[in-house]
Amino acid sequence: MRYIDYMQLNPFQKFGYNFTQFFKKLPGNLKRFFVFLGHVIVKFFVGIGKGFANYGKKFVKGDFAVKLSYLIFGFANMVKGQLIKGLLFLITEVAYILFMIYFGWGYMAKFGTLGTVKATTTMDEMGFPVNVPGDNSMLILLYGVVTIVVSVIVLAIYIANTKSAYKVYEDKLEGRKVLSFKEDVMQFVDEKFHITLMSLPCLLIGCFTILPLVFMILIAFTSYDNAHLPPGNLFTWVGLSNFTDLVSMTEGANKATTFIGLAQWTIIWAIFATFTNYIFGMIVALMINKKGIKLKALWRTLFVVVIAVPQFVSLLLMNQMLQTNGAINQLLSLLTGSDVAIQFLNSTPLMARVTVIIVNIWIGIPYTILITSGILMNIPADLYESATIDGAGPVKSFMKITLPYMLFVTTPYLITSFIGNINNFNVIYLLTAGGPTTSDYYQAGYTDILVTWLFKLTMDKNDYNLAAAVGILVFIVCATLSLITFNMTKSAKDEEAFS
Amino acid sequence: MKKIVALLLAAMMMVAAFASCGNTDKAAGGSDDASTNTGAKFSVDVADFGEESGASLKVWGPDNYVKLLKKQCDAFVKMFPDQKIKINVVAQGEDTAATNMLSDADAAADVFGFASDQLSRLVNAGVIAPVATKYAEDITATNLKAAVSASTLPNPDTNEDTLYAFPETGNGYYLVYDKTVVSDKEAGSLEAILAACKKAGKKFIMDAGTGYYGCIFAFTGGLEINGLEEDGLTQKFNDFDSKKVVATLKAFSTLMHEYKDTFTSLDVANVSSGFVSSKKKASTCGAGIDGNWNATADADALGENFGATKLPTIKVDGEEQQMISMYGYKMIGVNNGSKYPRTSQILAYYLSSEDCQQQRCDELGWSPTNNTVIESDSAKNNVAISALVAQSEHSVPQVNVSSTFWDPMGNVGNKLIAADTNPKKYDFDKLLKDTISNIKDE
Repeated sequence: MRYIDYMQLNPFQKFGYNFTQFFKKLPGNLKRFFVFLGHVIVKFFVGIGKGFANYGKKFVKGDFAVKLSYLIFGFANMVKGQLIKGLLFLITEVAYILFMIYFGWGYMAKFGTLGTVKATTTMDEMGFPVNVPGDNSMLILLYGVVTIVVSVIVLAIYIANTKSAYKVYEDKLEGRKVLSFKEDVMQFVDEKFHITLMSLPCLLIGCFTILPLVFMILIAFTSYDNAHLPPGNLFTWVGLSNFTDLVSMTEGANKATTFIGLAQWTIIWAIFATFTNYIFGMIVALMINKKGIKLKALWRTLFVVVIAVPQFVSLLLMNQMLQTNGAINQLLSLLTGSDVAIQFLNSTPLMARVTVIIVNIWIGIPYTILITSGILMNIPADLYESATIDGAGPVKSFMKITLPYMLFVTTPYLITSFIGNINNFNVIYLLTAGGPTTSDYYQAGYTDILVTWLFKLTMDKNDYNLAAAVGILVFIVCATLSLITFNMTKSAKDEEAFS
Repeated sequence: MKKIVALLLAAMMMVAAFASCGNTDKAAGGSDDASTNTGAKFSVDVADFGEESGASLKVWGPDNYVKLLKKQCDAFVKMFPDQKIKINVVAQGEDTAATNMLSDADAAADVFGFASDQLSRLVNAGVIAPVATKYAEDITATNLKAAVSASTLPNPDTNEDTLYAFPETGNGYYLVYDKTVVSDKEAGSLEAILAACKKAGKKFIMDAGTGYYGCIFAFTGGLEINGLEEDGLTQKFNDFDSKKVVATLKAFSTLMHEYKDTFTSLDVANVSSGFVSSKKKASTCGAGIDGNWNATADADALGENFGATKLPTIKVDGEEQQMISMYGYKMIGVNNGSKYPRTSQILAYYLSSEDCQQQRCDELGWSPTNNTVIESDSAKNNVAISALVAQSEHSVPQVNVSSTFWDPMGNVGNKLIAADTNPKKYDFDKLLKDTISNIKDE
């Protein structure tokens, strides 16, 4: 279809066209994706192969000092005039060996089994219990991961060492000047400045983000549940059985029905929570922004006050107000004159779910108002004026001017808030704590979303392995959704449009 | 210049990353009013401390006990001045003690109070130390048999029965009522209580949606928990008559709906606060099911009109059935990983001793487990303690309860009272079956 034909379609036809096109193009896109993936993998292995080849080539080509550097870090640097640099390499090696002897190896050796010796308690001759600690699977896993990370870093330094040894050998051979330590260091504020800048943040991200993440991911493949709690018990690797538990249907309230049921509600919740807030927030912002409204600043401030109260406080208050004897029922009783006792949060699933979504609207729209009113004020007024002259009504100018403009600017925000709502722990946990309860789910209630279930699994039941598996699945869903949707947005495809 | 700015930014990132790691450990240490009541009855051999001196212990106790606990710990420190013991008392509810112990035993307390149903979890994870054999004999001799057997579990390795905890207090719930609303005679039957409350326009309050109270409904029908399977995790039940249980559930649900504005399910705290009346506002609660830890609050609210007795009966298929409760204990445990195991054992032994039990009974109204204290006047004259003792005869002991027991039992209560449950049509049989299989984690 040509562009001109496309432009003449009405919105529904356009949607239908795009919809069919999406599925028509899907096989091709998928193919391209996998081809791309294949290229990346091939590139990766070729890179590694090249690295090894280089590693060997330099070993063969280099002189005795270079060869010795492959065993003793920094040897070539030291004998060829880069004493301090060589020493630093050597210190790294010694430190690593000491680290492995006194710390790392003990954990690495047990990493494959996660420990075999159980703790025992015996009584001493006076009748007091003596605890003989055994292997602690959790610490073995944690410090095993630490050791692996340290080893990878040392490996990187080792490779840098061989490269540096070869370079200094080459420099000497070709009669170039060997850099002094001071000159080497000066490089780090000049052409190697990016290393200086990024090393600290990288190190911190590694320690505080990557390491715990790897630890958590590994837990999903172990039997770390309430029957295997350290320090008294051992747990071990179980492969994918936690994941198969989550999808294999058996009779009764099992993990699979719970996972699927909660996943459905999580998606429904995320859609409603995101779009109700967005739409209602925009409507309120438009109303406040309308010409002729007095005291605009006051109205805006009033809504911002809701933000100023910490969210958990308002949620806990809401929880109290919605109880059977809470403020809302009492107010209704006063107004109607009869005894009203609506069970908002603990009767039917539908009632509780609708209540949660409505409370979330109340809590969420101030944020949308704040964001959208700024954007609304930025839309050039002459667009509206010319639209009015051309005979467009308010609805038409909203659909043709305001909405496209808003969507363009706020789609990334919509995506992040959708993902945020999938993981919106506060609203669910503080408002309903997952209730109403049911016997159909495994350790979860009807308004539990996946993260609150995860919380219950870890905090109440100590089923850390299952929780880690759920966490990984949630992450995969969130990551795919946000990548796909974000790449499909206008803002990503057409970054220059409104600038 | 740009580079310096960039470096500064990187440094700022680092500061921000560390800023969130501030120290937030709040401890309620210190000693403001050391008690003079050191109690002469308790004594241990100083040699029991072994080589430990200068011990620094962390002790967990529930909020309302913290003040007295501090006093008792100070008395303990004074008793052994040569040991230079330091004790740090931290408020930590007994209901979540096991959860906190299990999440990080190293950072947890050396000596901690917990509810008896958590014992199996603690023993299975190996975080609780068995009671020193030296004291076990004395504990067994001076405390209620039931309390001792509740503190005893088979050792997971040797399968020998081992005393794992020091009994602290009996722990259960019973009927409390306002004597101006419900007469002593009416307090014997649930139907009469509800009718009296409805007549007076007051509420009958219990926390039906929590497993601890929700189990009443099934227990009254004859269901009982009966220890754990060999894995130490899966709940066993007695050989119950499911028809009778279903009939009882139906009877409860029917009553709840018949008196739907009177019979309310709310957190227990609402019972004592509902009893409070002032000139401006009349009390809202006529009767309720409340625990002995709230006894002083109930008594303060009602004064001489405070009534407490065993749970009433309910009519099931024309027959009066006594309501059966869950009766547990609170215990004191010692962390198996404690750096000062002996000092911790001795402190726990002291906290479970006659002196400390008497103080808790006098000042907090906690029901004693020590045989001598039970016979004391202050225990005998306490209405609430008498009610608790009376109820303990109609109860299922809160021992060896699986951690999966509570939520499904709470769900039973929720379902019985839910507005959309029609007691005439509802499938109570399925509810019972689902509940049992959920508890067994099948």
